[in-house]
Amino acid sequence: MIEAHDLELIYNDGTVAVKPFDITIGAGELVYITGASGSGKTSLLKLLIGSEYPTGGTLNILGEPIKKGNSKSIHKIRHKIGPIFQEFRLIKGKTSMDNVKLGMRFIGMTPSQIEEEARLVLIKVGLEDKLNIKVDNLSWGECQRVAIARAVARKPSLILADEPTGNLDRNNAIKMLELLGSFRTKETAVIMTTHATHLIEGHAHATYIHMDRGRVNIERQGKSY
Amino acid sequence: MKTFIYNFRYFIKESIDIFRLNLISNIFSLLSTGLIFFVLTLIIAGWNISSSVTEAIKGESEISVYFQEGLTESKIIDLTNSITNVRGVESVNLVNEDEAYGRMEKVLGDDAQVLSFFEDNPFDAFLEVGIELTEIESIVDQISQMAYVDLVRDNKEVLDRLSHMSDVLNLVSYLALTAVGITTLVIMSHIIRQGIYHHREQINTLELLGAPKYFIALPFYIEGISMTLIGGLLSLVLSHFVINEIYIQVSGPLPFIPMPNQGIVMQNLIIVILGLSLVLGFFGSAFGVSSSRYKE
Ligand SMILES: Nc1ncnc2c1ncn2[C@@H]1O[C@H](COP(=O)(O)OP(=O)(O)OP(=O)(O)O)[C@@H](O)[C@H]1O
Ligand SMILES: [Mg+2]
Repeated sequence: MIEAHDLELIYNDGTVAVKPFDITIGAGELVYITGASGSGKTSLLKLLIGSEYPTGGTLNILGEPIKKGNSKSIHKIRHKIGPIFQEFRLIKGKTSMDNVKLGMRFIGMTPSQIEEEARLVLIKVGLEDKLNIKVDNLSWGECQRVAIARAVARKPSLILADEPTGNLDRNNAIKMLELLGSFRTKETAVIMTTHATHLIEGHAHATYIHMDRGRVNIERQGKSY
Repeated sequence: MKTFIYNFRYFIKESIDIFRLNLISNIFSLLSTGLIFFVLTLIIAGWNISSSVTEAIKGESEISVYFQEGLTESKIIDLTNSITNVRGVESVNLVNEDEAYGRMEKVLGDDAQVLSFFEDNPFDAFLEVGIELTEIESIVDQISQMAYVDLVRDNKEVLDRLSHMSDVLNLVSYLALTAVGITTLVIMSHIIRQGIYHHREQINTLELLGAPKYFIALPFYIEGISMTLIGGLLSLVLSHFVINEIYIQVSGPLPFIPMPNQGIVMQNLIIVILGLSLVLGFFGSAFGVSSSRYKE
């Protein structure tokens, strides 16, 4: 599903965010990206969603080559990605329901699918009584769950979550990791960055990508899903 | 298709949101678009009316042929016949002294009592000759050389002045059209750019979610086109009242001016203004969308 070869990202100002590395990620894998602040985790996710282009090597996602000037491929893969941004990127002034629906309006779903799926997923993340509340009036944790619902409701092949445990205490972080893990299926891979290394260690059937100032170390435990 | 219709409500809602975000400035832009279009409607209406008045006068153009006094009836008939044979002459009609007097009385209206100062009828009989305007010079030439003809009076000067006036109005209309076009395009593209700027976060998020360009741009097009359309409608409502007033003012005291049918003038205006606002709204939005920078 994802094939990277000598993949590298250097920003315009010369910052080396990702040093060349190889990786293959199959359908339905669970991948944790860890590393200190500034080690390049978000930069790696940006490569995967096509908001930064590789400055070296090759990157193929869902059969589409990701490179500068290939905006058609990028549109295509974004339709199959459910992104959960570090700062959520919800649309202010819109309700939870409208935020979730907005992500589904242009990926080939029918109106009834959109209405049903948005409602179901919001209920699944525990927001059944907040469907028609504007996100401006939701708590931080509730906003995070709307962001997760928006990503999952698109029925993506790949869920990308940036720092989902960031502001959570230990108990809630564990719950969050479980919730996101539960979205992994045969068809859907889940890739997330996290600082909470102590909570994910020893998780079977997962891939760990550890980053250190742009250097990428990969460690696999068990078999992929 | 079903999804597009489903999404259309979202597009409309979005465009209303975009409008409301800059409410005051957008309302002023709407009003000024309306006023700009209003000026244009008046100029176009004036041009429309004047060219149709000129056409009407040209269509019924006549010259008056005065002949020597005391001409016998058979000579007058001879003269009438030879004038009828001139190429470009459409009709010849004898207006005798009494009729000439009556006509002047009508023209003078309330001031007709000045005519009573004359002891005798001061007017001469003449031949009223309907002609094709394009042949006026050769006709006047030929008739002037005929026997017994005293004087040929044409209204060429008036006609020339009228058609000159309509040429000027023509030019003014084109200039106004250009000015309105440019102004509307500038206002609209500015408004759209502002809307995009205020929505840049949302637009960036939509792009990251893979939204196609049309999906992101459509609400802005809807906003731009509806704003010019509403401006156009506003100007049409205003000009309806103004043109109505002009017709009342003109057709009462100046009944001999052949004004075109008011309904047709209004209908032409509606077609031109609504068409124009659609086109300008579309291109204004397109300029706004294509010249926006919203990338993070
Ligand atoms: N647009 C950019 N231009 C230049 N440098 C950048 C840009 N974005 C990030 N960087 C730099 O690249 C490096 C990696 O940043 P990145 O955001 O990927 O780190 P991170 O691992 O996600 O950190 P955190 O855990 O704090 O979120 C940092 O040194 C950062 O300053
Ligand atoms: Mg980060």
